[in-house]
Amino acid sequence: MKATAADAAIDLRGLRKTYRKGKQTTVAVDGLDLVVPRGEVFGLLGPNGAGKTTTIEVCEGLTVPDAGSVRILGREWRTGHDDAIRSRIGVCLQETKFHEKATVRETLELFAAFFPSGRAVDAVLDVVSLREKAHARQSTLSGGQRQRLAVATALLGDPDLLFLDEPTTGLDPQSRRQLWDVVRSFKAAGGTAVLTTHAMDEAQQLCDRVAIIDRGKVIALGSPTDLIRSLGAEHLVEIDGEHFAERIAAAELTALPDVVAHELSPARVVLTVRSVHTALPAVLALARQRQVEIHGLATRHATLEDVFVHLTGRHLREDSKS
Amino acid sequence: MRARVLLAVARTTFREFWRSPEAVFWTYGFPVLMAVVLGFSFQPGELPKVPVAVVAGGDAVALLTTLGQEPRLAVQLLSPADADQALARGRVALLVRLDGASPVLRTDPTRPEAEVARLLVERRLLAGPETTLPTMRNEVEDRPGARYIDFLIPGLIGLNLLGAGMWGVGFNLVQMRTQHLLRRLAVTPMRHREFLAGYLLGRMVLVVPEAVTIVLFGHLVWDVPFRGSLLATALLVAVGAFAFAGLGCLLATRARTIEGIAGLMNLFQLPMWLLGGVFFDVERLTGVVRWAAEAMPLTHINRALRDVMLAPGTLLDVTVPLLGLLGFALACFWLALRWFRWQ
Repeated sequence: MKATAADAAIDLRGLRKTYRKGKQTTVAVDGLDLVVPRGEVFGLLGPNGAGKTTTIEVCEGLTVPDAGSVRILGREWRTGHDDAIRSRIGVCLQETKFHEKATVRETLELFAAFFPSGRAVDAVLDVVSLREKAHARQSTLSGGQRQRLAVATALLGDPDLLFLDEPTTGLDPQSRRQLWDVVRSFKAAGGTAVLTTHAMDEAQQLCDRVAIIDRGKVIALGSPTDLIRSLGAEHLVEIDGEHFAERIAAAELTALPDVVAHELSPARVVLTVRSVHTALPAVLALARQRQVEIHGLATRHATLEDVFVHLTGRHLREDSKS
Repeated sequence: MRARVLLAVARTTFREFWRSPEAVFWTYGFPVLMAVVLGFSFQPGELPKVPVAVVAGGDAVALLTTLGQEPRLAVQLLSPADADQALARGRVALLVRLDGASPVLRTDPTRPEAEVARLLVERRLLAGPETTLPTMRNEVEDRPGARYIDFLIPGLIGLNLLGAGMWGVGFNLVQMRTQHLLRRLAVTPMRHREFLAGYLLGRMVLVVPEAVTIVLFGHLVWDVPFRGSLLATALLVAVGAFAFAGLGCLLATRARTIEGIAGLMNLFQLPMWLLGGVFFDVERLTGVVRWAAEAMPLTHINRALRDVMLAPGTLLDVTVPLLGLLGFALACFWLALRWFRWQ
């Protein structure tokens, strides 16, 4: 689907934002273009400091860009339509501490008062599965429950467009899945959601399309499947053992059928392959022939992380290097 | 302004306070505690003795005997070194030493009791050791309404209005900013003036029982009278609370950290504590300090509160300070709205 400005939920052109602290200047967003059509779950994927949060905060009207045009649901910020935009968007910031002594219901009632129209507090409590916690104070909630409350405040105005800035960072797997379900049901009801994340599984599970952002620019854009397909190979074969580098030459690995790329170290070899069932027997046969002892073997699908590594030579997160 | 938003914000603010036992104690318990301590400290009683020292040397012992006849003096004989120490530490108000036959009086005139000591010592030395001075009957002012505690109680109300504005509004707003709650609120279709007005309303409602507590306590325990207009007092409390809430709001407009707002609050609070007419009457100040005191809202609240509590003051008597304070409050609120940083 080719998105145009008229029907887009978000239309960013030539967006640029620089932060100055003393004499130090940081370019957070560097000429970014992005169009998100309505009805999509769209992911901004990138490492910390890539410019995801700045981009989303420009969309939310919190940050004023240095240059570029921003249209949200067909309207521009600071042209007299701010309240109209704000009543049609829902925002879940990266980190918000609500009133500690207020209960879940009281917090939602406060936010509900701000919107001229919207959803009933009870209905939203059901959507985020917090009905049984309605009378619990903020200070007694778990991390996952707090995050669902934050999302609930974003849903109260019955928004057309939902912004979620790293909604699942630091949450346990069950809480993450609960939040994903909330986003899926929001989309099923016709909503558009934009989320930032540096968890590639989240982007793959949840997003119709993702933009991979690095150093303030979009470096890849498409559906997770298309982006992974662009690697030219969708599988990885990881073998742990001994004496790889001594007994097998790099050129021999490349010559194996369906092998696209490789990483070779003394105790480990990682092959990017088009087809596991042709590449795997070949590499095992080569290992046997060279008397390389194999301790472990795993195959997996390529992920968006691999796409990022392929494009930048770096990992999305430092701790994901393995 | 939408009343729905105003009330929702005020309700949340009010609830957040009532559910914090520490906040409730410091708001309602602490002023009472302060009234108890100050009331006991300044109970009218016998006139206190003024401590002076005679420096050893020459005929110091005779001098000691002469001064010892003055009942208002507590005289002691000290070595020159000890005498200097005692004056420096404020343990005595005056030193007398003999230079040949003539006595020399040494004081630090900036110490409030120095002049009293000098007068008492001079009187006794002029009279000589043998003369009996005519005695006068001393009366201690202990009638309700005229004691120091009566002066203090309205000042304590003013002080608490100031504290409520600074801590309740200024400090809490900055805390909400550091916790990213303000920016979360800013991305809703809530209008800024609705939020700030609701917030001030929620905090101001808390101030009325605070003032009532102090007045009641003063009346029941120290017999502090209430002579003037109740309506005028209530209006003064409300407008005073609004003035300091506005000031707190204004100070909180830009501060990004708790340390930042704490410093700013001290900058405004400390001079008002000292010079705002809480502990002594501003009329006693002179020069630049007097001008500074007159520029402080606390001075005017305290003066007006005394006018309607200790004297039979009416609403008409305090119209000027009321309008002045209201203007101050509105100006603070208006500036705060213009400068307020939501993130």
